Amino acid sequence: MNAETRSSGRFLYTASVVLLCAWVIVPLYLLLINTLSSPETVNSFPKPFWPEFDLGSLSFFAGFEGMLTALKNSILVAAMTMVMSIAIGAPAGYALSRFDFPGKGLFRLLILLTRAFPLPLLALPLAVMFIRTGLDDTVFGLALVHTTLAIPFSVLITFSLFSGIPIELEEAAWTLGCTRLTAFTKVVLPLILPGITASAIFAFVISWNEVFAAAVLTIENRTLTAFLLQNLDTSPLHLKFAGGFILVVPALIFIFAVRKYLFAMWGIANR
Amino acid sequence: MTFGYKFAGAAALAVTMTTGAAQADVLFWSTQAKPVEEAQAMREQVLGNFQDKVDYQPNDGGPWLTRLQAELQAGTGTIGVLGALHGDFSAMNADDLVDLSDIGVMSASDTFNELAKLGTDSAQYIPWMQASYIMAANKKALEHLPEGADIDALTYEQLIAWAANVHEATGEAKFGFPAGPKGLKHRFFQGYLYPSYTDGVVRTFASDAAVTAWEDFKKLWAHTNPASTNFSFLQEQLLNEDVWIAFDHTSRLAQAFNERPDDFVAFPAPAGPTGRGFMPVIAGVGIPKTAPDMDAAKALVAHMLKPETQLATLRATNFFPVVDVELPGDLPPAVQAAGGAVAKMSGSADANPGLLPAGLGAKGGEFNRVFVDTFERIVLANQDIRTVLDDQKGALEAIMNETGAPCWAPDAPSEGACPVE
Repeated sequence: MNAETRSSGRFLYTASVVLLCAWVIVPLYLLLINTLSSPETVNSFPKPFWPEFDLGSLSFFAGFEGMLTALKNSILVAAMTMVMSIAIGAPAGYALSRFDFPGKGLFRLLILLTRAFPLPLLALPLAVMFIRTGLDDTVFGLALVHTTLAIPFSVLITFSLFSGIPIELEEAAWTLGCTRLTAFTKVVLPLILPGITASAIFAFVISWNEVFAAAVLTIENRTLTAFLLQNLDTSPLHLKFAGGFILVVPALIFIFAVRKYLFAMWGIANR
Repeated sequence: MTFGYKFAGAAALAVTMTTGAAQADVLFWSTQAKPVEEAQAMREQVLGNFQDKVDYQPNDGGPWLTRLQAELQAGTGTIGVLGALHGDFSAMNADDLVDLSDIGVMSASDTFNELAKLGTDSAQYIPWMQASYIMAANKKALEHLPEGADIDALTYEQLIAWAANVHEATGEAKFGFPAGPKGLKHRFFQGYLYPSYTDGVVRTFASDAAVTAWEDFKKLWAHTNPASTNFSFLQEQLLNEDVWIAFDHTSRLAQAFNERPDDFVAFPAPAGPTGRGFMPVIAGVGIPKTAPDMDAAKALVAHMLKPETQLATLRATNFFPVVDVELPGDLPPAVQAAGGAVAKMSGSADANPGLLPAGLGAKGGEFNRVFVDTFERIVLANQDIRTVLDDQKGALEAIMNETGAPCWAPDAPSEGACPVE
């Protein structure tokens, strides 16, 4: 009886794991197959299980003017967004978790409010201001907008992480000769690194996926998403797949690269 | 600390990027030729041989308009030339566009040139290229054509019978209609169904003839692939054979003809009791008053109207020239097929050409909405036709009265706002 329950429990566990993996992997796999297929195969059904390695769709994009510049801009904007949203968000998260100050509840609410207004609404006044101040069409200006979008996440994530670290750890460090600053860098920072990574990933993905502001605020220095995504929805199917693949791969590579910091957060040992 | 350094580094980098952003290219800000292949062809074949370097940037309607408005409000801009549909221009304030009457080029069609004045006395944009909506079918469907039907002179009745025959023979509803979120269904009602059944669009919106039109459309819908509410580019469904008979914009059918020219036929839209209704699509080029280099922008507009540029544009986008030009014989299959169908449609004895809605200004979207809502209520929600038409009539009347737009063909001309009768 007991063994039976255990084995059916294990079966359920395995089945859930397989299902969750399939949930993520199958669409990506179909994307890969269609990217590496000829236009005829893309339009036919059923799809082959193995890609036929037809590079026609991908090589079209290799010759597409401005792709590399756009990719470079996307990476620059995403990197700046990551750095700025953490540089601004983490101290705010620390303050929220460690100090009591008047208006704390309101402050937490206000942070969330930055996500309450849709970008198409904000883009016009923002663009007018950017044109007047000279921030228009710069990678830095766009990164500022994306940082605003990413800050709520970085504040809330770091806030909950700081709250999970007992203040006694810091106090112990102070008694052992640390200043407030060194206690933070030597004791707290290593503990919250996974959380920082998580907010970094959020910031990266938010910036990477954002189209509207990027399309309105940049002209010469377009990001890859603004450059490509708007034009893909009206493109033939095989180019949609290839373009989608190109948009997804850099984000996947990034997440793969930082995954070990993220896993540490979930209690899996650093590997 | 490390963050501080990184931040400083990023800021320094940003400053170098800012200073490097000076530019001399003419920025061509367009809502047309958006698909990546068309954009590429525009850059290489159409704009490559212009005197200056042109930065061709196709956009969605939202960012296109927002950016333009931002530059107009800021009073300084980077956009040199605008490329957009007539409807996009008519939604703009005419003062924001540079008067192009003195540029020395215009289209061969007086109707188009008149539309391009946007209700003023001078050309606010220059017609650039045109297209239309046609029908396309898989050749496998041809054997099911009803007896005595000529594919180049179909009636709605024959089309319905044909779709029914195919439905019966294959067991699947294989008529395709662009009723998806990005589909151009409203143009079918405004330019095809209504003119063909009621000889009008606004005046006859709720007439008895309109009731007949919707009844017939519902008969056709019974043989329409139910997934049509997801279809926006029928070329995809023609290629994967979910659909055998389709109605759509010429450039949204092009890929099917270019990839498998021997498998498909293009033919005119069907005729109803009041003729063969059809509607042109016009795109134009204009210059915003904030253009940084006015001379270069005007030169580019003139360049777009040159016969050889018009032919290159035709190859790049499947949109037809608006100037008189001899079409060469080696055009892509889609262009030949669509060109033939459009010529037969406009040359047919019962042709009843309609015009694009004019004078609606920013209300163009709401005008389309009336037709889309009517379609959704009558066809998708199966509501009573007479009730729905009487309901929607109010919305249409409000739009017409607010804008004061006079009637356009095929409606009979009006004094003042076009009345809904």
